[in-house]
Amino acid sequence: MNRVPARACFGLLLLVGLGVLSLVAGRLFPEVLASTCPLGEDPMRPDRTVCELAFGGLWVSLAVGLCAGGLSTLIGLIVAAVARLVGGAWEQALLRGVDAVFALPDVLVVMVLQLAGQSLADAGHSGGLGPFGLMVASLALVGWAGPARMFRNRLATLEGQEFVAAARALGGGGVHVLRVHLWPALRPFALAVFLSRLPTAILTESTVSFFGIARMEPMSLGRYLGTSYAALIYEGGARVVLPAWALLVLLVLGASLASQALSASPRKAS
Amino acid sequence: MRSVLQKLARQLVLVPLVAVASYFLMAMLPLTTESEAKRQVSPELAASYRRDLGIGEPLGFLRPWQKLWRGERLGTSAQGVTGDELARKLSGSVGVGLLALPLALTWALGFAMVRTRWRRGRWAALGDVVPALAFGTPVFIPALLLAPSVVERGNMLPELCAALVTSIWPGIFLGTLVGDALETELSRDYVRTALGKGLAPGTVLRRHVLPNVLPALLDAIGPVATALLAGSFAAERVLGLPYFGQLYVLAVLNKQVAVVVVATTTFASLLVVVSLAVELTRYAVDPRSREARA
Repeated sequence: MNRVPARACFGLLLLVGLGVLSLVAGRLFPEVLASTCPLGEDPMRPDRTVCELAFGGLWVSLAVGLCAGGLSTLIGLIVAAVARLVGGAWEQALLRGVDAVFALPDVLVVMVLQLAGQSLADAGHSGGLGPFGLMVASLALVGWAGPARMFRNRLATLEGQEFVAAARALGGGGVHVLRVHLWPALRPFALAVFLSRLPTAILTESTVSFFGIARMEPMSLGRYLGTSYAALIYEGGARVVLPAWALLVLLVLGASLASQALSASPRKAS
Repeated sequence: MRSVLQKLARQLVLVPLVAVASYFLMAMLPLTTESEAKRQVSPELAASYRRDLGIGEPLGFLRPWQKLWRGERLGTSAQGVTGDELARKLSGSVGVGLLALPLALTWALGFAMVRTRWRRGRWAALGDVVPALAFGTPVFIPALLLAPSVVERGNMLPELCAALVTSIWPGIFLGTLVGDALETELSRDYVRTALGKGLAPGTVLRRHVLPNVLPALLDAIGPVATALLAGSFAAERVLGLPYFGQLYVLAVLNKQVAVVVVATTTFASLLVVVSLAVELTRYAVDPRSREARA
């Protein structure tokens, strides 16, 4: 087994560090953060400090990204596995559908899904999904096509290898080969795909929340920036924008570095 | 050419699919309830929206398009849209996108050159950090930082700023791709042979290397066009530009379902047009694509 690249380690450390920091500072001990925040009060909410809102938002954005990224990776994996198992014309038809979903811009579709979900929720047909669940479901419904394409291509490459041919020659069925022989080789790639979905989901959520379409409570980074809109333009905008922006960039940097490094040098199957 | 037409047909299927899917999704939404929840629209307004959608009529899904064709207004008088207004707003957004495209190409060229130089020095890590920084910055953040000094000045400055902030991430993305492709091509045997035969480096680059880099650039144009158009939504909102992005966001916020259906389908059609332009360009400039299909 090869060593995990240094860049991936740095990216993962950054992600975990931010996650722990947002949990501790934003959720567990917000009063400590409030009393020590050097950036002062938020102009729109005088009872909260900028640090409290930024770290609280980071926690929500990270949670949305992790859940949506995980769910879209899982859906993509299932679609790719089904496509490879059925093969032939069905696989091609499935791939055309995947391409169609992939061609649509995430922000646009998430806005439409949010409108639909919120209208259903207002009418009492939310199916138990709150704003958080609705956002995760919307992002997963939009984001599965990219992972499905990537998993399908990786599976097709792996299936061309000799150990798969040998397993099939010995009578291994499609599901068996997939579960026992292909999945172990696919795992590091699945982690890389998941990490690549994480920043996309966070950024899409931020943009949709910024427009005021999503009703995330407590606020995510995007909704925080979106609701501080007027103050941002007219008084001390940078003091509010820069911390939230820096946290968003660090989050994306961590996920991007880890994902790039893992997908560039996938470890051998154990 | 047959293959281009096949690809076009595949893309064109997307437009009716999006139109029908968005129509039925919007048509089934409960827009109003007896409980009068805070964000629900009034029953009269909901009835008007449903008339716009032609619910219950034969071929009702064509109703919003018929209204636009006849020059009638979709949605309410204050926030709705006519066919002419839709075309004007769309052309405004496309204009911002077209302004952003050369800016993105400039960013791309600049970043590709700088990255190639960094790669050999101690700044190599910046080649990874800058793309992450650009990707991790949603369009609305630079737009917010520019907005106070730009919004009220007019004279096309907001449009220019919208194009500028929208072009950053696609430009860096293109630059990364072009830089990588350039480096791969420069290390190939044919470049060494051409240089060994006495051709000037500039001529080798122009005549041999760039034609091989172009397909990688064309592959990226589709996602870049999507990013430019989607990014312009946020820039238009922050910089107060009354174009297509603003119309779309307001339609979603006000639950103007017929406008959402029409705008979503229009956006999908625009993506198909971009895709067709890319395929035709590829067909014209990349002989390998013609040979592979012959």
